[in-house]
Amino acid sequence: MAVRTIDVRERVMARNDELAALVRQRLQASGVPSFNLVSSPGSGKTSLLERTLEVLGEELGIAVMTGDVQTQNDADRLARRTERLVQAVVTGGACHLDAAQVTAALEAIDLERTRLLFIENVGNLVCPASWDLGETAKIVVLSVTEGEDKPLKYPKMFRMARYAVLNKIDLLPHLDFDLDLAVRYAREINPELRFFFTSARSGEGLDEWFQFLRAEARAPAHR
Amino acid sequence: MHELSLALEVCRIAEASAAPHPARAVRAVAVEVGKDAGIELENFRFCLEALLSDVPFAGARAELTTLPGTDLRVTHLEVDDGRPDD
Ligand SMILES: Nc1nc2c(ncn2[C@@H]2O[C@H](COP(=O)(O)OP(=O)(O)OP(=O)(O)O)[C@@H](O)[C@H]2O)c(=O)[nH]1
Ligand SMILES: [Mg+2]
Repeated sequence: MAVRTIDVRERVMARNDELAALVRQRLQASGVPSFNLVSSPGSGKTSLLERTLEVLGEELGIAVMTGDVQTQNDADRLARRTERLVQAVVTGGACHLDAAQVTAALEAIDLERTRLLFIENVGNLVCPASWDLGETAKIVVLSVTEGEDKPLKYPKMFRMARYAVLNKIDLLPHLDFDLDLAVRYAREINPELRFFFTSARSGEGLDEWFQFLRAEARAPAHR
Repeated sequence: MHELSLALEVCRIAEASAAPHPARAVRAVAVEVGKDAGIELENFRFCLEALLSDVPFAGARAELTTLPGTDLRVTHLEVDDGRPDD
């Protein structure tokens, strides 16, 4: 039998990156900034979004899609805080969202009414770092119960992120977590990281976060 | 953990690349894995071999080469065109 070689030379991420580029184009054309929230499971992504929707959901026309491996729990939680449709993406086992899922979820989002888009990724500090979703920026959430060394252990995620939220600071009195050390480690990996220090429980630090979001959101349409 | 998604995408690319050719069977799928691609090589090999053991590949080999860099790339396929050797 004759064995032949077929040249392929295709990057495995090529298709995802093409779709991500289309998402990015589409969001940019509508002027809608988008944030991809990434973290290990349970750092408080959904809690932070619940707080954010309560205060800014209407004001900033915030649209949300949320990825989960198996349930729609987060989408249900968020739907209670907003009038708008919360897009649930169940990945069916996959440890990350991809640009094809975001493309599909975007179909149901009215971008005209949207000034800011949040994408809550699957809780995982490794895999989501490799998938461009077409977002404006990744925001990595790290809770103070996870240990200061997580930026060193999961450098790619902290390198890919533009912002970091250190959450659950209400728990600091009960822990020996060294906030400055965590920030120093994260800046070793990514000197450009901008930090927020929050408690989605007590509300501490959320004002600065809200101010930031107000500044980032698309300007309201003139009528 | 994302190695399975990547292996699935490798198979999709391999299938699409083989489709236009009058090949009977894909014998091998050659993939370059960048050392900084964030991929656990043995896990990836396990996933890819598992997928290649099934239709439409029916036992094609996974040929993995590591090299510097961050890319993961399907470089080529070996196919059997079903013709007798010349
Ligand atoms: N004490 C305290 N608890 C918090 C805070 N934020 C979230 N939690 C709690 O942490 C747990 C996980 O919070 P979630 O918001 O579900 O975390 P998540 O990152 O969305 O989790 P996954 O989507 O499963 O990865 C819940 O029990 C929250 O009530 C906080 O600032 N302080
Ligand atoms: Mg969540």
